[in-house]
Amino acid sequence: MNARLVMAAGLAAALAVPYLVRSDFWLGFLITVLLFAVMGMAWNILGGYAGQFSFGHAAFFGTGAYAAAVLHIGFGLNPWLGLAVAALAGGLVALVIGYLSFRYGLRGSYFALITLAFAEVLRILANWAEFTGGGVGLYVPLKVGIANLQFSGKTGYYYVALGFAVLSLAVGWALEHSRLGAQLMAIRENEDAAQALGVDTFACKLKAIALSGALTGIGGGFYTHYYLYIDPGIAYGPGVSVEILLVPIIGGLGTVFGPLLGSAVLHGAGELARRLMGDAPGLNLIFYGVLLIVMVRFMPEGLMGLVWRLRHRWRRVADA
Amino acid sequence: MTRKDSSLSRRHVLAGAAAGAAVGSLGLPAILGAQPAAIKVGILHPVTGPLSYSGTQARAGAQMAIEEINAAGGIKSMGGARLEALLADAQSRPDVGAAEVEKLNEAGAAAIVGPFASGIALATTQAAARHGIPHIVDVGVVDQVVTRGLANTFRFGPGLKTIVDTAIGNLIKINEGAGKPARTVMIVHEESAFGSGMATTLNAELPKHGFEIVETIKHANPTRDFSNIVLRVQARKPDLLIPSNYYDEYVLFARALQQQRVAPKAIYSILGGGASSYKFLKEFPQAASYVMDCNHWFDPRKAQALALKEKTEKRNLFFTYEVFLNYSCVYLLADALERAGNARRDAITAALAASTLDRHVMPYGPTRFVNGQNTGAQPVTTQILDRDIKVIFPLAFASGNVVYPIPERLG
Repeated sequence: MNARLVMAAGLAAALAVPYLVRSDFWLGFLITVLLFAVMGMAWNILGGYAGQFSFGHAAFFGTGAYAAAVLHIGFGLNPWLGLAVAALAGGLVALVIGYLSFRYGLRGSYFALITLAFAEVLRILANWAEFTGGGVGLYVPLKVGIANLQFSGKTGYYYVALGFAVLSLAVGWALEHSRLGAQLMAIRENEDAAQALGVDTFACKLKAIALSGALTGIGGGFYTHYYLYIDPGIAYGPGVSVEILLVPIIGGLGTVFGPLLGSAVLHGAGELARRLMGDAPGLNLIFYGVLLIVMVRFMPEGLMGLVWRLRHRWRRVADA
Repeated sequence: MTRKDSSLSRRHVLAGAAAGAAVGSLGLPAILGAQPAAIKVGILHPVTGPLSYSGTQARAGAQMAIEEINAAGGIKSMGGARLEALLADAQSRPDVGAAEVEKLNEAGAAAIVGPFASGIALATTQAAARHGIPHIVDVGVVDQVVTRGLANTFRFGPGLKTIVDTAIGNLIKINEGAGKPARTVMIVHEESAFGSGMATTLNAELPKHGFEIVETIKHANPTRDFSNIVLRVQARKPDLLIPSNYYDEYVLFARALQQQRVAPKAIYSILGGGASSYKFLKEFPQAASYVMDCNHWFDPRKAQALALKEKTEKRNLFFTYEVFLNYSCVYLLADALERAGNARRDAITAALAASTLDRHVMPYGPTRFVNGQNTGAQPVTTQILDRDIKVIFPLAFASGNVVYPIPERLG
């Protein structure tokens, strides 16, 4: 009951943010946090719950981004519908990659490498193909209007991102409490043992990667309509993959709120570094890197692990 | 955004505070009270990430102009108001560039100068438009930067179409002037928006003028080994070679050509990453010899341009187009501020739209903005001759005579 109250209060606070935060910069910051929380949760489904570490989520992000852009620019598809198509496209690409990888029993670092390779192949294809605009990329026409998923201020984008973040949390929560979630966790702990117990590991992993790809695809579609520009480097570059996987690793693998917390801390630390390090170019990135190393070294279970440890300690103190 | 740029040290501040106290005690507070507020100018470039060299050069150019303007008494029509640079780093990413615009807005930037790359410019101009911040685009050649109807966007340099049209026009003149020795062309370009866009345009335009494109080769960024590409060039034996890539790849490709003694009738680049570069010339003079390039370039006949070149080199920087374009952009803004007489964003935007500035270091006519594009802007064609970069076209700005077809460049 308490947890539900806290969640309801959190949601109410999140809904009130645009009325309390008047700064467009900070609203923009929160939109980025929410966007990466969604994609972090997507990665978490596959990497956190199922234990299949992907280094190539850019493949799903980029596909969603390009699906939204190509269909809107080339065929006039409504951007809101484009987000649904982005999810489908991301899920479909994930299914193909998952089928090829899992069918041939790729696990661990081999699976990580094959996902990285798929993202790179897609980047090269996007560079080569004409319908993606090649290396030039695609520019979404600027036509402000709710129907076009273009808002004059940040508030509209914030609420859309918040909606997707709530959706991703709901997906995470439902997965954690579902049969599929239990099967994925069994696969994560010991795939051979799970198979011996009758879990269809191939089907379960396929479901996980498809769900993960679909959620990441939504993130890509939103990115396209938020920044109105996409090119192969942004869409399929390794930077996106790394940023997506860092979010749940920092926040806490296999947890519902880990990606949200991870995204907030990851981007907050980046911003803090920029503000502290003055204008010495690149020094903020070094600080940011050191901070990440320290966090991963001393908090291997992520921030959610730290939260649990602190809560446990507080309860013991309260009981004593 | 990072921090306010100011030449004031702690010692200066303390000295100023002491002097202020002394003046106050003498009963002359009105002198200090009359000092107008500084005008905050966002200097936004990619100073980290893959574009950091260009971003750093661009920032240096803008800062030199601000120093000069402040040293000359600031904005006179505003009581000598100083320009204060708000330095911002787009980290070579459009999304970070857009976030930096939000910070500049909240820091009170009256205008923004930057952000070098087209992809970043699309995001930053749009973000600036939401707040009505006038945004002077320094480079950002992709035509969409000024075709979206953003009233706040002013591109000082020429757009891609103008550059390509001028480059092809100059190439035809050079070829016809020598009796049309070149007919076949090979294009080697990098994979991103810049190189790919250029290759597409050249493939569409050159055949209309009697050139045959024998092959177009795209390469990844970064590429460190050009030997296979050079072998293909050797096999194709094109009369003209058109490279379109960023600095490192341009230099490595030119060196590989020289090492393998590939001798086309000309190496003619458009916005070549290394062709119009004193760095390339200094480090690899043989590989750079006779290379032609249609690019942004300063007016070698203007004393102000030569003084800026000297000042840049004294700071151990190469005098690249990022430096003099951003230097000119800040002067463009200062001129608009002088005429506006205040630092309101709408007033600056109106003053920029009506700009007729001719006191810049570029080989342009007076600025005249039509839909945000400076129609007075034009590129020039340069050639590396006698270990210097000479302007060969248009003839009105020329500082050297074209050498074509080029002699063999010995390794």
